[in-house]
Amino acid sequence: MDIDDILADVSHDATPTETRELQELTRAWVAERVAPEILPYPERLMENVLERIRKQIELVEEQTGNMDPKANFRLIILQTELERFKFLVRSFLRARIAKIDKFPIHHLTDTSTISRLSASETQYLRAHHVLLSNHYQSSFLSQFPTALQRLDDTIGGISMIDAPDLDTAVFCRILRDLGKMLIEGKDREHHRELDLKRGEIFIVRWSSIKESVFAGDIELV
Amino acid sequence: MALPLPPGLTPPEIAFLCEMELVTIIPRQRLEGLKLLGGPTPPLTPPHRTNLPLWLALLLKRQKRANIAPPPWLSPSSLGEILDLETGLSTFSPPPNLSFKPLSSTSTSTPTPISPPFTPSSTASAPSDALPYHWLELGEILLEAAADDFDDPDAVRRLLRDLRDARMAKVRAMVEKLEAGGGVRIAGVGGMEVAEGRAFLGGVVDGLRKIEARREKEEDGGGSGDDDMDDL
Repeated sequence: MDIDDILADVSHDATPTETRELQELTRAWVAERVAPEILPYPERLMENVLERIRKQIELVEEQTGNMDPKANFRLIILQTELERFKFLVRSFLRARIAKIDKFPIHHLTDTSTISRLSASETQYLRAHHVLLSNHYQSSFLSQFPTALQRLDDTIGGISMIDAPDLDTAVFCRILRDLGKMLIEGKDREHHRELDLKRGEIFIVRWSSIKESVFAGDIELV
Repeated sequence: MALPLPPGLTPPEIAFLCEMELVTIIPRQRLEGLKLLGGPTPPLTPPHRTNLPLWLALLLKRQKRANIAPPPWLSPSSLGEILDLETGLSTFSPPPNLSFKPLSSTSTSTPTPISPPFTPSSTASAPSDALPYHWLELGEILLEAAADDFDDPDAVRRLLRDLRDARMAKVRAMVEKLEAGGGVRIAGVGGMEVAEGRAFLGGVVDGLRKIEARREKEEDGGGSGDDDMDDL
């Protein structure tokens, strides 16, 4: 153990919950912006963050009347930070909505995916899908032959249901030493082993690291 | 409502991330500790140096309430050495080995490890011999907002540009190493370089995979794959 390890240990344990939550939220935001499919909704984290944002807004509102220049500057700092947090939360949720909108039927039919949505996201997905299919039905689908009216046809080997491409290449950083991972080549001679060491950055298929990302051993960048 | 951006962080988003990096400031005014959403800040008492997130340091700097101490690696001598190293290597120069302490692979009980932008890789006590993840963004932001805190901002600016050129050539050269399965190690790459290379490098890997998949299909199906053209 050298001095860096000791320092890292100390700073690690001393990290306040607030900072920890900012780190988690930032990581979740980056992952959601990068990953091809929707990720599990961090319910507890979002509850805490939203609650603290609400309290901070109340605090800012209470202090806005204070004309003391010193207090005024403090308020500017608080508000700047508040805006940064609000941006993170908003961008995170909007990235999720973009994915929900892109693959509505896939999300509705795939049970493992729909369990990753929050209650309000599920509600939005269902309501939005009903509205959209009713609109398609009344504006043009009803005039098609019955056999062609479906939006989720899978006959003929081609599925109408769009789903995210889980083999998309992603950039990721290893957070914990994970040992070796096999990368499949075009045949057995081209198989390669990757040594997943902490701190390294790789380009890999999303599907091959997805479980490690969920477990918090790898993060997306 | 939905975010109209393609997957992958945009340069402004990378800069936003970079603004969470800790930097060292020398306050010119007192300021009591604040309870921020991202954790409490230490009270500022001149002339004691303090580490603050970059966004706050920039705010204080703009109001002339503090000076920013550039990180040790952002000096002409360090950058010169890193540039020498960089031009001699075919890979990126190694990243700082900071607070990446070895952790066992058990994800239980151990807390989530921190990573950039939350590693203190740009404070005054950061190592001087390696470029951190957000090197380019941080350098550009500091040169823009706090050029007067540098001894020789023009030399730093020039060296950053040279480093960037040397490294961008490596990003482009990386294409030859890419394979359909992915799995390319790019140690030492920077945040902005990931953002710039993502569409291109990711696109090449995805494209290779689709070509490979089609070739396999053809071999299996004896070449009767006329309507597979759509998959490409």
